[in-house]
Amino acid sequence: MLAPPDQMRAGPPRAGVARRAVLRAVLRGAGAAALALAAPAVARAETPTDAGPIRLPGPWGETRLARPARRVVSLGYTSQDGLLALGVVPVGLRHWFGDHPYGVWPWAQPLLGEARPVLMRGEVSIETVAGLAPDLIVAAGSGIGRAEHDLLTRVAPVLMQAPGRPVFGSPWPEDLRRLGLALGRAARAEALIAQVEDAFAALRARRPDWRGRSAVAAWRNGGETGAFMPADSRARFLADLGFRAPEALSRLPAPGGFYATLSPEDLSPLDADVLVWISSFDRAPDLAALPMRRTLVAHREGREVFAGPLVAGALSFGSVLSLPYALRALEPEIAAALDGRPGTPVPSAVRAGLAP
Amino acid sequence: MRGALIAALALAAAMVLSMTTGVREVSAADWWGALTAYDPYDPAHVTLAAVRAPRLAAALIAGGALGAAGSVMQALTRNPLADPGLLGINAGAAFALILGTTLLGRADAATVSALVFPGAAAAAVAVFALGGGMKGDAGPVRLTLAGAALNAFLLSLVTALALARQDGFDVLRFWVAGSLAQAEARPLAEMAVAAAAGTGLALALALRLEALSLGGALARGLGVGAGRTQAGALAAVALAAGAAVAVAGPVAFLGLTAPPLARRLAGHSLRAEIAVSAMLGAALLLAADAAGRVILAPMEVRAGVMVALIGAPVFVILARRLRPGAPA
Repeated sequence: MLAPPDQMRAGPPRAGVARRAVLRAVLRGAGAAALALAAPAVARAETPTDAGPIRLPGPWGETRLARPARRVVSLGYTSQDGLLALGVVPVGLRHWFGDHPYGVWPWAQPLLGEARPVLMRGEVSIETVAGLAPDLIVAAGSGIGRAEHDLLTRVAPVLMQAPGRPVFGSPWPEDLRRLGLALGRAARAEALIAQVEDAFAALRARRPDWRGRSAVAAWRNGGETGAFMPADSRARFLADLGFRAPEALSRLPAPGGFYATLSPEDLSPLDADVLVWISSFDRAPDLAALPMRRTLVAHREGREVFAGPLVAGALSFGSVLSLPYALRALEPEIAAALDGRPGTPVPSAVRAGLAP
Repeated sequence: MRGALIAALALAAAMVLSMTTGVREVSAADWWGALTAYDPYDPAHVTLAAVRAPRLAAALIAGGALGAAGSVMQALTRNPLADPGLLGINAGAAFALILGTTLLGRADAATVSALVFPGAAAAAVAVFALGGGMKGDAGPVRLTLAGAALNAFLLSLVTALALARQDGFDVLRFWVAGSLAQAEARPLAEMAVAAAAGTGLALALALRLEALSLGGALARGLGVGAGRTQAGALAAVALAAGAAVAVAGPVAFLGLTAPPLARRLAGHSLRAEIAVSAMLGAALLLAADAAGRVILAPMEVRAGVMVALIGAPVFVILARRLRPGAPA
């Protein structure tokens, strides 16, 4: 069982689970939970209620908690972000990729503070998990199998993704809502979701000219060049900024659904109004040296953006904390690419050596 | 001589196929334009000069080197199942690749090439030393055992690193199938020199290797030093196979399949066999690469995979025709 290659990571559909309905149900069920909406960094315990145990459905049975969890082991490759956003520092967490202290990327580091969680690499070690004596194990997006799940439930309740969701493709707001319920911080989860959705809405209002223009998230890896399909988290991110996918992209075969591989003899499907290169490992020299890239109009007119390891990581994480980070990083870059003047330098493309 | 002619014709046909096969239609005018007035913004010109031509060159280097190195390995170990991978070339290259990219934090094509060739060469030297080569008596069995042991050891280290590091695993995953897709970014000129040096050395040593195959004592009687011939042959294999792995990644089966085909064409002169095997190896790799471009277009099937798909049945047919006890 290996981690999802970040390039292939499924995209969390961000649209519409009925947020209000859930919120209403939560408020009814948990009584008047304290509406500690703002300041996610402040850990304020929302009072546990006597409304009975917390119960969450999962693909392999229900997760039951007598009281909101506080000592949490995070086995999902990205679930540490949600926990930190909700103000609970996990006692142990899973390494996905990148070299960041304790496996916590820069967008979440301030929330980690002085904490020193145990970083778990490779396969899940039941012994390590048990040694941490958690009262909740978050395994949504971890890729563990049924047998591991059943074994882990003997250590502590295990929270998986919602039933029917793909292991690496459950929508982040849904995962965050479930985390919020398990931690007794449902209201804060709703507030965080609203904050991120508002940030995207505010950007679309700020940049009305982006609406309807075409954008592609592209990758180059191991000698292959390709594009992320509309279902992927990176392409969805661009869609959330108001962009549309070029038509040539939808005609490409994408066996896994999330990305298409192009022939090195024809990169024309990448020739959109904005071409965002996603490079999670440092492969900028390969891109800069790719002769076929120079035949793209987007290249000649300076409409390429380079999302280096940090921004690419933020898009791969696709979490409540990483998405605003990616938004802040990419907005000025895309604006420089789309300003209508080929001469305007796009800082990231210049740094990566991609500028015309 | 007839065998060499057939191999040369096959190679020429494969070269034409490689330059004319692909998803992009290239007209005669494009050919003329690419040669006389190259336009780096014209996709057809770029296809010819920066996609197909480098792949042709890389296939000639890697296929030729693996064919020649395979012949030498089979003669040296007197084992028709020997291929250059037995020297730990691929395992050494893979280990250097995953360790280096993890430590450096980068995996662009130039870095990959710079790591792979030294890794392959170091592994070959290690196998030679472990097999007793430094004391001058690396027999075929000892070499084979040392190679198998070092291969297993290095590959388990590679697996351990790949499991612990997601990014390292990604790098390895794309490299391990063997492909010519990155030929344009690989050090083709340097590796062409290494491959030519290795193949030239192999041709020069061919007569001594034939003497050695009669047994160490008889070879000494004919004035052939076993230790020096073995060392020279292994240097030839390390140079040629190291160059191949640096331009194309590990291409399985080529070093195994080309030599028995060459023996059928060239008869039992090792020198002719090495030359024919090099031509057949290059032709097979070119044909596999060309087929891989169109079979699932616009996606490409990696050349290493196509070689195994084409090479495995050929190898099985050859093996079935083998008479018991006959030299392969």
